[in-house]
Amino acid sequence: MAVSVLGMARHIADELKEGLSGAGVRTAARGLRRLLDADFVALADLSGRAVWAPDEPPFYADANALVERVLHSENREGRSPLVAVPLHVDHELAGVLVVAGASRRAAVREAARWVVEVLERGRLEASAEQAAQAELRALRAEISPHFVYNALTVIAALVSSEPDRSRELMLDFADYIRYSLAKHGEYTTVADEFHAIETYLALQRAVLGDRLQVQVRVAPEVLAVALPYLVLQPLVENAVRHGIEPRTGAGHVQVRGEAEGNDCVISVEDDGLGMDPELAEAVLAGRGGTDSVGLANVDRRLRSVYGPWYGLVVETAVGEGTRVVVRIPRFQPGVMPG
Amino acid sequence: MTGLSVLAVDDVPPALADLCRLLADSPEVSAVASAGDALSALRMIQNGRYDAVFLDISMPGLDGLELATLLARLNEPPVIVFVTAYEQHAVAAFGIGAVDYLLKPVRTERLADALARVNRMIPDARPATETPEAMAALPVESDGRTRYVRRTEVHYVEAHGDYVRLHAVSGVHVVRMPISRLEEYWAPAGFVRVHRSFLVALDAVRELRSDSVGGLLAHTDLGDVPVSRRHARDLREKLLSAAKSGELDRR
Repeated sequence: MAVSVLGMARHIADELKEGLSGAGVRTAARGLRRLLDADFVALADLSGRAVWAPDEPPFYADANALVERVLHSENREGRSPLVAVPLHVDHELAGVLVVAGASRRAAVREAARWVVEVLERGRLEASAEQAAQAELRALRAEISPHFVYNALTVIAALVSSEPDRSRELMLDFADYIRYSLAKHGEYTTVADEFHAIETYLALQRAVLGDRLQVQVRVAPEVLAVALPYLVLQPLVENAVRHGIEPRTGAGHVQVRGEAEGNDCVISVEDDGLGMDPELAEAVLAGRGGTDSVGLANVDRRLRSVYGPWYGLVVETAVGEGTRVVVRIPRFQPGVMPG
Repeated sequence: MTGLSVLAVDDVPPALADLCRLLADSPEVSAVASAGDALSALRMIQNGRYDAVFLDISMPGLDGLELATLLARLNEPPVIVFVTAYEQHAVAAFGIGAVDYLLKPVRTERLADALARVNRMIPDARPATETPEAMAALPVESDGRTRYVRRTEVHYVEAHGDYVRLHAVSGVHVVRMPISRLEEYWAPAGFVRVHRSFLVALDAVRELRSDSVGGLLAHTDLGDVPVSRRHARDLREKLLSAAKSGELDRR
């Protein structure tokens, strides 16, 4: 008996996930009727529209008048065998529960409490999700002004001496800006991420010349994998900034994307200065100063989308270069390029 | 085949000049006219004959989308290609029946794609080609004997004058046939032209590799195939859509 009551309660909770105006209201009313052993049960939202189980009773005009009264008084109205109780969600009126039949007063009160709890939890979940989404958007990588001015300077310098090349770079620059400012959807594809970093690296090559040696490799089977926007670019920017720019000689940046079982593994590697592994840990934890916010942001975004197993892995040592590895599932429900 | 007569419309003079120059440099185009606003464009289209109109969307007065809607009511409307800075308009643009949608600043390779689409839209531009049978195997001569090389074992094809070299699992075989002919036969089976003298089988590509100087290679188990800049975008798109539809099953 107790098990079936719990089962029914859970069922009602599931059906009310979308609130009192949602699609599951009729099924929830049916569940409540069985739970209370009542003749008729209705749930109404703030519009006063009552959804009845098992169907509209012969006295539904009286019942509707009762609902209207509760919506105004915000108090319990009617007397057994027909009562209507207000449903206060987070201290605000959200709807009305109507019960017709020989149900006990205490049982009706408990049922109303249960519905309220379910509705409050639903609201909490929705707002938590909104907050997570907002945080993801805020963590999007920002365009680095340092890089923008360098690129524009180089393009300006080439306009008269190498007009075709400067046009080509300007087109790359337009692609870079367009991608960085993209607002559509939360997710993109590995193909687009790789295209974006190739564009970025082409521009950086123009700025740094032969000091920057680049190799980009990607396996076709991961091209369609979905991932959040601008995950790779901060990693590549980081490799150029800390691996190549501070040194006098040439440096290599290697980017590689491949499939490993059900995962897509992307690595960004430089043969630059490297760093103390403890510092790398601090950077990932967001304690690395403003210069390395990008890495920590990517790490947090990956974890919040794919779960705690899927953050960044940084392999580094002083003088040994740095290798950053992104591992993401090739197929993740709910993660679709927008 | 006579070239296309096209009209370019944009209210920003340097953008218009650039578009006209790119169009005039295209081998498919024989005549380029220009208009600085939608009303002059409409007048020119009513008085002249244009195969295609390259149309900026955001213009003062009558904008590009509105002009296109008007043009669609003509008896023999020109083919429309939108040229604009904003991707947001794409859905509306295709709704009106545009054949393509170029983002500003315009890339030469993208313009070439758009012109190819325009050409496909124009009747009599080229005789209808019948789909040739797929040629699933090609006869090759070796040591005076004829044997057949199956298309499915070929990873890539290299042109050699009037001959092609088939790089297959069983070795390299030479067949007398121009690469463009073989491309017609094998394109429906997933072979893509990636260079003036190379075709590659999509499902044979293990990796795309690009280096410092911007060169792109398609790596296969039987060797690297150079991808020219002009064909890079097409190859990437085909690989992506093959990956999406799960067609990259390994040989």
